[in-house]
Amino acid sequence: MSTVETGEPKATGGAARPRRRRRRTPAETAGLVCVYALLAVLIVPVLFPLYYAAVGTFMSVRELATFPPKLIPGGFTFDNLVNVNGAINLDRLYLNSVIMAGVITVSQLATSVLAAYAFVFLPLRRRGVVFALFLSTLMIPHEATFIPNYLMISGWGLDNTYPGLVMPFLAAAFGTFLLRQSFKQFPRELRDAAMMDGMGHLRFITRILVPLSKPTLMAVSLYVFLTTWNMYFWPLIITDHPDMRTLQIGLNSLKSAEFANPGLILAGAFVSVIPTLLLVIFGQRFIVRGLTAGAVK
Amino acid sequence: MTSSVDAGRSAPGEGPQRAAGNRRKWTGEHTLAWAFLAPSVLVFAVFLIYPLLYTVYLSMHGNDIVGNPSTFVGLDQFAEMMTPEFAKIFANTLLFTVGTVAPGVAGALLIVLLLEARIRGRRVFRTGFALPFAFSVASASVVFSVFYNPASGVLNGILYRFDLPPVEWLTSQDLAMWSIILTTVWMNLGYGVLVLSAGLGAIQPDIIEAARIDGATGHRLSWHILVPLLGPQLFFLIVLSTINALQGFGQIHILTKGGPADETTTLVYSIYQEAFATGSANFGGASAQALVLFLIVLVCTAVQFGVIERKVHYS
Amino acid sequence: MTTNPIDRASRNRRRRTALLAGAVGLTLTASACGGGGAGDGGDLTAPGADVLKDHDGVVEVEFWHSMETTNGKVLEALIDEFNKENEGKIKVNPSFQGIYDDTLAKYRGAVQKGDTPELVQIYDIGTRFMIDAKQAIPAQSFVDKDKYDDSKLEEGLRNYYTVDGELQAFPFNSSTPLLYINKDAFKKAGLDPEKPPKTLEEVREYSEKLTEKDGSKVEQYGLGAAMYGWFIEQFKARAGESYCNKGNGREGLATEVTYDEGTAVEVVDWWKGMLDDGYAVNVGRKTEDSQAAFNSGRAAMTLDSTSALGAILDQADFEVGTGYFPLANDGDPGGSIIGGASLWINGPGHEQVEQRASWEFVKFLLSPEAQSKWHAGTGYLSVNTDGYEQPEAKEQTEKFPQSTTALDQLRETKPNEATAGCLLGVMSEGRMANEEGWERAVTADGADPQEELTKSAKKMQGSIAKYNESIDN
Repeated sequence: MSTVETGEPKATGGAARPRRRRRRTPAETAGLVCVYALLAVLIVPVLFPLYYAAVGTFMSVRELATFPPKLIPGGFTFDNLVNVNGAINLDRLYLNSVIMAGVITVSQLATSVLAAYAFVFLPLRRRGVVFALFLSTLMIPHEATFIPNYLMISGWGLDNTYPGLVMPFLAAAFGTFLLRQSFKQFPRELRDAAMMDGMGHLRFITRILVPLSKPTLMAVSLYVFLTTWNMYFWPLIITDHPDMRTLQIGLNSLKSAEFANPGLILAGAFVSVIPTLLLVIFGQRFIVRGLTAGAVK
Repeated sequence: MTSSVDAGRSAPGEGPQRAAGNRRKWTGEHTLAWAFLAPSVLVFAVFLIYPLLYTVYLSMHGNDIVGNPSTFVGLDQFAEMMTPEFAKIFANTLLFTVGTVAPGVAGALLIVLLLEARIRGRRVFRTGFALPFAFSVASASVVFSVFYNPASGVLNGILYRFDLPPVEWLTSQDLAMWSIILTTVWMNLGYGVLVLSAGLGAIQPDIIEAARIDGATGHRLSWHILVPLLGPQLFFLIVLSTINALQGFGQIHILTKGGPADETTTLVYSIYQEAFATGSANFGGASAQALVLFLIVLVCTAVQFGVIERKVHYS
Repeated sequence: MTTNPIDRASRNRRRRTALLAGAVGLTLTASACGGGGAGDGGDLTAPGADVLKDHDGVVEVEFWHSMETTNGKVLEALIDEFNKENEGKIKVNPSFQGIYDDTLAKYRGAVQKGDTPELVQIYDIGTRFMIDAKQAIPAQSFVDKDKYDDSKLEEGLRNYYTVDGELQAFPFNSSTPLLYINKDAFKKAGLDPEKPPKTLEEVREYSEKLTEKDGSKVEQYGLGAAMYGWFIEQFKARAGESYCNKGNGREGLATEVTYDEGTAVEVVDWWKGMLDDGYAVNVGRKTEDSQAAFNSGRAAMTLDSTSALGAILDQADFEVGTGYFPLANDGDPGGSIIGGASLWINGPGHEQVEQRASWEFVKFLLSPEAQSKWHAGTGYLSVNTDGYEQPEAKEQTEKFPQSTTALDQLRETKPNEATAGCLLGVMSEGRMANEEGWERAVTADGADPQEELTKSAKKMQGSIAKYNESIDN
């Protein structure tokens, strides 16, 4: 079990790098032109699916059905966005995904903070062994345990419910792992002083530790939210009622349960990636931290 | 790569030399420690450990037509995997894994190295290359399903414009897996770019600058200086992509359902099919396959750690 | 044999414990052990109208169904209408149970627990199971009791649901496959758009004319149809052949499927030829993909359910025509299997008033008025022949004259063993195995259709035997 220390990608890229201006040699200029050309060639196919989903969302079904496909829209319509809601109950599925990802994120944060606190600040016999066992749970793929989980949870009558959706994911060692790293940096004296003042463990955690560990908590939250938002396998198995499916499963329904309608498919996909798109654009720093630390998973 | 199992070996606040007066407090806090660990332990025990053990149990039993375990069959379910069909599934899984990991990691590396050149708009480019990361397996797969239609799809439309013959992306036995791989590589690219550029960002600027002053430029700088420095991130990316690929499911479920003619049936898809496909509910067989998956993930991780770790440079 | 691509696609989507063969054994044990015998008002005969008349208060009917999105909304509107008409007497509570497979799986669980709903909608290919489970009061019993005029029900449907001389269930929603053509493409190729091809041979001839190539670039394919098992079932029925033995499973439990014989092999052979020669495009097994091929004008003809008509007209930027589903060979007797889904009223465990109230609701759903609205709202055929005389259905016909083709094709069907369709406890699995063999035969290099179909038919023997064993016990 090990991980990568990327460190905080402080001032990623060249921003902080000293820039000494000197004259470029012709060879360097030629090289730079090559770099631009290569980047341009690469970025087109990388962005194309996103571009097409975005413009296709606002194209009429007839326009989408033309061949060869139009890559630049001729008209503009909200029909797909309106119809996609009727086809899969989009707002309900959106809500389901938010609830599922939200509950799991909050629960994993809470359980991880407590566990990490125990590992760092509380006395524990065979701490190393316990921690290693903790981490080893990350080696068990959910695909290898879903049958008993499915039998158990549907046996409790919890299929098609929020508890059934979130239960197996209420805790994960990953958050504990990351928070433990962060808590270990916490100045010992500060804690001792707080304790000396008669502050209880929980109060110390909520008043001092958590506020001071915000960057790590953000990283954990974003990571957990993102992975659960995108989860496919478990929701597919544990839900079948159209009102209890998640957005991701709804996308599959759009693709396979309806008559061919690329407009609805693209609209559904586009709407579903908006939150994650925003996260990637504005939360890159945290995401990278969380994901990189998730190495063990 | 730092080993993290050094886990609080010398954690403060612990030790036999504690004064006797502190003993009660120590016992109390020790109980509290377990109370704090309890929620996590409970979830792990009920939803990970027990299911894993029960999977072992199921794999050694036959099952009746509704999937209830019946008689003990020992390792029969595993023996039944010694078929050409299962060998094919294995080969598919291997192809899918290697096919997605190698170009995915190489592509991301190429992109971040290009971005290292002194170019304008580096930030915009990087964000652009990272955007596919916003796509989930489901959203990426449904968008690609629109691209792949053999008659009217966007990709064949583009080929048509260039006067090229159409391609049977998902309906040809030879190509279907590659189309799934293409979707997956695209989907994973953003993540690779994010991880590797974060790694580059963490490299001390003076190392690079020193190399530049020494006359290292362009691909020499990249290849001899940057790539070794990126060792940990590359290693991490390879491990993670491999494990992800071994668990790949959504793209197959959405795009091909394992077809045509089982050409895209991987281990995870096969497990799902055994357990949930029509008239199946073969939980025993599925459990045996699930254990194989578990072992493969375990071995892959171990091997990768063992082999690659020695070769990566630690910054 | 089944209804429309929605149903089929969703069935392909995922089947949780959808074991058609599945729990039959258990179910039968449970029913034999008398989850409800004649004792609790559960003998399998229909009660008379008096039971309801003598009852005070509201009778609640729980109704399990599988109608999603548009279809679900139209169904709920009908239920609201019925509940309003019967306020204070009967209240129907609809409960969506997921796709057809799920409903059947849940129904099976309910039988085990002795907790069935009053009324349940089950797809055509679950009919054999429903009969074997002995939970539902045979439809014939209600018909006889009330002297209900079931001759108004579409003949092909009665044919499908009549087993051992008795009507077993009330057909509710059904559709039939058609040949869709791009009339503009026909005109351009010098073909008469009013004369769609009638046989596979003609489909090929037309396709040769419709296929346009420019070097290696394809401008237009003749045909773009999905390898959907339902089509093979239809080809065989139109050729007068059974799909399974024992008189299509109607003279006893079928023991093997016959899609590796006769017409089925010819069709797959023909299909392979069409693909190999470039007159058809291989769109795989899903009709969504063939619709996309057709709607974009890339394939001049396709095969699809009547219920796809609305969606096709929405997207196609050309004149759409419809023709009969083609015959495999000239001179085949023709006709088509129509199953769809049907309604089953449960006996054991339910009061007579509840059974009666369910029947009142079923009668309402089968009325010309309700069927007309159903037909117009969903694209399913009207199971009541008088439904087409109603305003909503008439308007629909005016709007989509193409939809009359389906009706004509249906009306010309001669009810016989072949067009009745195969009854098989594991029919859904059978269809899938058939599709797999078909796909293998046309996509693998050097594959032989006969060999591949035989292989997949053989694969079915085990499942069928397992099912039959559980029935015998």
